[in-house]
Amino acid sequence: MKRTILLAAMMATAAPVGAQAQACADADRVPITWSTIAGFYTDAMAKLVAGFEADHCVKVNVVNIDNSQLYNKQVIEMVGETGAYDVVTLETSEKAEFAENGFILPMTEYFADKKAQLDDVAPTLAALTVQYKGDVWGLPYYTYTAGYIYRADLLEDAGEKEAFKAKYGYDLAVPTTWKQHRDIAEFFTRKKGAMLKGAPLEKDFYGVGLMAGPFPEIQDEMSGVIWSQGADWLTDDGVVPVDAVEKAMNDYLALMQFAPPAALTVTYDGVMNQMKDGQIAQTYSFFLDQWPNAAQTETLVPGARMGVAEAPEKKAYIGGFLLAVSASSTHPKEAMDFVAYLGGHDAQMEFAKAGGTSTLMSVLSDPQFADPANRAKTGHFGTLLAIFDSMKGFRSNLFDTPFGAKIYNTMQIPLQSAAAGQITARQAAEQLAAQVEKICGGPCPIGK
Amino acid sequence: MLQRDSSFAKEALRYGLIVIVLGFIVFPILWMVLTSFKPPQDVMVSPPRFLFTPTLDNYYHAIVDKNFLFYIKNTLVISVTSTVLVVIIGALAAYSFARYNVGDGHILFFILSTKMFPAIAVILPYFLIFRNIGKTDVGRFLGIGLDQPGALIISYTMFNLPFAIWLLVSFFQDIPRELEHSARLDGLSRLKVLRKVVFPLAAPGIAVTGVFTLIFCWNEFLFAYILTRQKASTVTVGVESFFTLQGILWGPVAAAATISVLPMMIFVLAMQRYMVRGLTFGAVRG
Amino acid sequence: MSQSLSVSAARRRPAAAPAMISDRWFSILLIVPAMAVILVFALLPLAYALNVSFRFADLTRGGIGAFVGLDNYRAVLADEMFWASVGVTLKFTVSAVVLEMVLGIAIAFLIHGATVGKGVIRSLMVLPLATSAAVTGLFWRYLYDTQFGLTNYFLGLLHLPQPNWLGDYTIALWSVVLFDVWQWTPFVALIALAGLQALPKEPFEAAELDGASTFRVLRTLTFPMLKPVLFLVLVLRTIDSVRLYDAVAVLTRGGPGTVTESMTFYLYRTGLKLFRMDYASTMAIFFLYAMLVASLFALRPLLKQFSTRASEG
Repeated sequence: MKRTILLAAMMATAAPVGAQAQACADADRVPITWSTIAGFYTDAMAKLVAGFEADHCVKVNVVNIDNSQLYNKQVIEMVGETGAYDVVTLETSEKAEFAENGFILPMTEYFADKKAQLDDVAPTLAALTVQYKGDVWGLPYYTYTAGYIYRADLLEDAGEKEAFKAKYGYDLAVPTTWKQHRDIAEFFTRKKGAMLKGAPLEKDFYGVGLMAGPFPEIQDEMSGVIWSQGADWLTDDGVVPVDAVEKAMNDYLALMQFAPPAALTVTYDGVMNQMKDGQIAQTYSFFLDQWPNAAQTETLVPGARMGVAEAPEKKAYIGGFLLAVSASSTHPKEAMDFVAYLGGHDAQMEFAKAGGTSTLMSVLSDPQFADPANRAKTGHFGTLLAIFDSMKGFRSNLFDTPFGAKIYNTMQIPLQSAAAGQITARQAAEQLAAQVEKICGGPCPIGK
Repeated sequence: MLQRDSSFAKEALRYGLIVIVLGFIVFPILWMVLTSFKPPQDVMVSPPRFLFTPTLDNYYHAIVDKNFLFYIKNTLVISVTSTVLVVIIGALAAYSFARYNVGDGHILFFILSTKMFPAIAVILPYFLIFRNIGKTDVGRFLGIGLDQPGALIISYTMFNLPFAIWLLVSFFQDIPRELEHSARLDGLSRLKVLRKVVFPLAAPGIAVTGVFTLIFCWNEFLFAYILTRQKASTVTVGVESFFTLQGILWGPVAAAATISVLPMMIFVLAMQRYMVRGLTFGAVRG
Repeated sequence: MSQSLSVSAARRRPAAAPAMISDRWFSILLIVPAMAVILVFALLPLAYALNVSFRFADLTRGGIGAFVGLDNYRAVLADEMFWASVGVTLKFTVSAVVLEMVLGIAIAFLIHGATVGKGVIRSLMVLPLATSAAVTGLFWRYLYDTQFGLTNYFLGLLHLPQPNWLGDYTIALWSVVLFDVWQWTPFVALIALAGLQALPKEPFEAAELDGASTFRVLRTLTFPMLKPVLFLVLVLRTIDSVRLYDAVAVLTRGGPGTVTESMTFYLYRTGLKLFRMDYASTMAIFFLYAMLVASLFALRPLLKQFSTRASEG
């Protein structure tokens, strides 16, 4: 099957390669290297890279790196000015640091005559990823914007609905407030042997899956709560608002009792494993790019049907992986072409068809992806459009300080300590404030 | 009769305990190997599945799709070269310390103290050193630079030398001087005495040193991760390429891990007989 | 005899050169390659670390910066997380090394007394040594998982409590210790076993004839004779445990919170996540200093043994 696809891809690109053959011998190809996260779309990437190489006299080398190591690996190469990576992949909180340090090149001029392409990036995302201090720094090619992924079969079960209403006095439905979300989590937390959807459970069942392990994702989950309070991780003065963090932390702790014990050791992949094994009812504020993964639950758990919606209070972690060009690249022009290509409409269409979560309005709103036949891969696109609309104009100071990456890589420590019950929410908030102050050497500078 | 019964009970207890210990030791590895034959839907399930339809898909994915044997090849080249270097350089130095007591113990102490330095503390200087060497003609010619085998070979040689020298010194001390004297009187040069008399006698020590060095190189992660990118990456780094955005691909990881530990296990098992005497580091004189 | 003479005569020329130099020069020549490698690749990074430890150095803020005197040393000494990581390292080292030594020696005696199957037993014991902590640690994480792990599944079958091995902050460090014990106890056991097998027979036969008790034989014969080998293993295991990194990185990443954050892991976080090379280098210097002081006590006796044997032999 895979070979057929590859073959088709090669045939599809065969014509332009042939046309370019005289113009570009293999020896003349300019090598560029793209450092990115290992993932399922590597296979799709082979296709995309071939498409790019067909039109450009370039040889693209893709380096797959474990997500948790990507940041430091890229910084080391940037600091060493090795030129090893021409195109880098940045998390939203890392952009300001890379831009301020001159690790990446502004692409403002490059995109001056390609305004239409920039405008196609979902504006909410573009404001967070593309722009910094008035310049354009690259294109996001993949969004992990979070939402609510849940077991629709449970929330719509007549018996469960009735029991829920009897207990809480309102209808069981997709939650629109954190309070409702908590109630649902509590409601579905059941011991082995208890009834769920009228049948006895073969193992313990939990109301919510949480990512409270030693990974930065715990702050992604909490971000939605902080932001829906009208607060942010950093105030405009560059300090941590201790009270707001304490409150969000307490909300989080209240949820911990409805999550599997493994919550303290896992990140998103662990939560997806729990979902696919029929152990949890919903996810708190979860990366929607995992939808194709979550949708597998329907084949793995008998009777399961998955649903996706906006997060409660319409606020959740938002952002995308930005493609940017390294300042030490020896072929910046070709690297920029590659960024423009990967973030462009044609490549993003291919990417989406392979199960990738695109950042372009034209792709997300393409009717073919709304087709029920494609639901298992792109069923979350509609929800994403709704989130981008709800969060229009959203900004976070965490993404606008050059210390964002370091803060982001440290935050989970006090938060996880509190989640594990070692310290209180107040202590966690205070420790976070102290650590952030230490990282920034005072109040953090915020540049917009 | 009574005594035989009690000694039988003692033996039964002994072997019972041994079986428990071996079970504890072998089980995690066995589980890893078992996982490598599982189809994806049987890996992350509760309760754990012991019966499943075995598949070779994970190996296919690791070897064919991800070209994992490439990492094995890199690791083999780097580990074996480092080990040979460590053993040769280390044996020469150790012999000198053992026979001539160069530096009256101070140099030996200095060498041993470099083993104390945590790898993590030197990794960035190493990165910069190899970046700079890699830019020179010599570096390019010898393949010593970032993402080239030479950088790892040198790092591993450096990090294993202190331990190797330490081990070997005691083995050389066990060799009677008279043998060397008589060989010298036979007209053999000093180097030849080393090669023909001393080294063969110290073979168990050299073997055990080589085994430990090879194991260390094969399993090292931090240097491999920082100093390579792709071309010279080793198995421990290669395994990480299965940590994807969809989570860890447990089946393929298990397959890759099994492939990567297999050569070491075979090697260690093969060398085991040799190691028995070597393992006492010459410290027990029998 | 005559044959070997003729060989050396035939190759007199190449052999002649080294013969001309004195023992002293020969001994120095022998250590030159090792010293060259060590001087360049140990002293250069050390010099770098020393230099950086007196400067401001944030790699994501201008790289190596201005001279700041002893500021970094003061900052590190006042850093609670640093001291917490020292505490974690000490706790880990003491418990892991003691467990490994005690269990290892016990297992060695167990196997030493076995009559059949020693070869198979030894072969199986070697396996954990041949694997990388970065790889097998991953599978231990899987075994420890509360939702999918085998450990708690078995405990559940036996109706025993099912701990949250890596998530409970009161036991996470012990779970890391357990992993280390799994990987390194066989190492101690194999060496102790080899030591036992290498012991001379005569003193033990004499003791038996005298009717000495087992305990007395152990105390006066076995352990004193095994002491050098056991001391060596103890030092080796201690050095490795103090530098604990891989197991933490793969099992807990220092979590929950910082309860399993060893010194080297904190060093990693400071140097390679926060890119504060100044603090990282300063900590490395402290680390090295502490290790050197400790090794003066640990290694000196070993070295004394070496040098006396070198001069007497």
